[in-house]
Amino acid sequence: MPQPSNQTARRGAVGAKVGLRAKMGAVIAHHRHTLEDSLIRLLRDPFQTLMTTVVVAIALSLPATLLLVVDNVRQFENNFDSFSQITVYVNNTASQQQVAVIQEKIQSFSEVNSLVYVDPKQALNEFTEASGFGSALEYLDDNPLPPVFIIEPAIDVLSLPQKAQKLIAKMVNIDLVDDAQIDMLWLQRLKSLTELGKKVVLALGGALGLGVLVIIGNSIRLAIHSRREEIIVVKLVGGTDAYVRRPFLYFGMLQGLFGALVAGIMLTIGFWWLGGSVENISQLYGSHFMLRGPGFQGFFALLGTGFLLGLAGAWLAVGKHLNHIKPR
Amino acid sequence: MIHFDNVSKRYPGGYEALSGVNLHLDAGELAFLTGHSGAGKSTLLKLLMLLERPTSGALLINGKNVSRLSNFRIPSYRRQLGVVFQDHQLLMDRTVFDNVALPLQVAGFSRKETGRRVRAALDSVGLLSKEKQSPLALSGGEQQRVGIARAVVHKPRILLADEPTGNLDPELSAEIMNLFQRFQDVGVTVLIATHDIDLIHRLNHRIVRLDQGSVAEGGGAYAPAF
Ligand SMILES: Nc1ncnc2c1ncn2[C@@H]1O[C@H](COP(=O)(O)OP(=O)(O)O)[C@@H](O)[C@H]1O
Ligand SMILES: [Mg+2]
Repeated sequence: MPQPSNQTARRGAVGAKVGLRAKMGAVIAHHRHTLEDSLIRLLRDPFQTLMTTVVVAIALSLPATLLLVVDNVRQFENNFDSFSQITVYVNNTASQQQVAVIQEKIQSFSEVNSLVYVDPKQALNEFTEASGFGSALEYLDDNPLPPVFIIEPAIDVLSLPQKAQKLIAKMVNIDLVDDAQIDMLWLQRLKSLTELGKKVVLALGGALGLGVLVIIGNSIRLAIHSRREEIIVVKLVGGTDAYVRRPFLYFGMLQGLFGALVAGIMLTIGFWWLGGSVENISQLYGSHFMLRGPGFQGFFALLGTGFLLGLAGAWLAVGKHLNHIKPR
Repeated sequence: MIHFDNVSKRYPGGYEALSGVNLHLDAGELAFLTGHSGAGKSTLLKLLMLLERPTSGALLINGKNVSRLSNFRIPSYRRQLGVVFQDHQLLMDRTVFDNVALPLQVAGFSRKETGRRVRAALDSVGLLSKEKQSPLALSGGEQQRVGIARAVVHKPRILLADEPTGNLDPELSAEIMNLFQRFQDVGVTVLIATHDIDLIHRLNHRIVRLDQGSVAEGGGAYAPAF
């Protein structure tokens, strides 16, 4: 009968599986034990741990802050269309009626959302009051200020330079219109600044990331030194390199994570605190701009960065210092 | 089980600690390794532990030449050995239990199996009641017995000891040697370096004497010297 032998074979397979599972269980148990042990060691030396954590946190939060600033400025730039404007300057010699005709014409353009007329007399009065040059300005024969329209274009106009250019050309062509300008120069400056900012973040991030590697590497070096005897004994009883390395890798990972956690909390609180005042200001200017903190994604990216830097720092230090300990 | 075939060891400084050593130990044999200080006893044991490599010659363990074993295979080789040192090399920041458990942890034994074997090993050296203590709280003789428990906990086929009684008074030394004989009784091959001549002459075992790095006496196959 073929069936019993079949069953036996299956039973054999199950037996092998359990053996493997037991071995896996032991490895997992050792990982967990090592993790616990590393945590206990970190807590047992709170001063050293705190020092490393704070230094790592600062090194991580500096580039992270800059990155967030750049990110916010870019968001601000994108947000900008809604309150950018075109200023149209009308010739001084234009009469009230001619100005009214110009206004009608501009309003007829589909690209124009709304417009505000700034009367030269009214503008001069306001200027006189605001500047305190009242008596001096009385000596002027003519009002030097031109009539001005401040135009808010339709949303899609400013995001497309050709469209904006076309609108400006149309307005300059109107009789008695001297000039029309988009107030965008500063926006372009801002954009080149954020480009620069991105480069600075990269450079600073690289330098400080290297710093974190060194800091964590150094703390691993100290840990290796203080556990020298243990390493020797473990090697004598047949511990593999992976086994010897493991606690130090966990140690580095945890320190990187701690530093990143503190940095993440600092950034979240800091940006939340600033966010309130920024919101007030931007509301004052009729903007919907809101300061963005690290958020969930940023927070976890930061944790991941700390984790990887810690692991890499530990890996480098372990590779460098474990080889100096005899026996092989 | 252990076979040295014309083995020499020259240290980096140029000093030849062992020259042309021929030595054979059968499985289940117990031998004492003696000789003046500097004769090369520790060097011979270090070669067996692969802490050092022979400069020339072959070192066969269980018929296999281990002198050219790759670094990668050293850990699994060492797990077949049990080693005991004069300064016992216990970790003072762990309990007796955790010290003895180390060879099992390193080999990936489960927690349950580890507990069972550690207690059996501690029982065999008479220290089961001290498992939760720190080695610091134990006497010198007890510390050495913990070291022996750690050396046998994973049931090695070869047990090596380098001056295991060096720091102990004669009574405790005799006790430790008795322990080693009990492991030989269950089939372990045992090699003990010592210069406690008085003690080992009272025990009826083979004595290998080293002199200036060469075997002066007792290197061949065991033959009772009547
Ligand atoms: N790592 C080493 N480097 C150089 N010389 C060594 C080293 N270890 C031991 N020796 C020398 O080898 C000789 C044998 O030493 P050892 O094997 O320790 O002898 P024993 O254990 O019999 O006292 C001694 O002269 C010692 O100085
Ligand atoms: Mg010696």
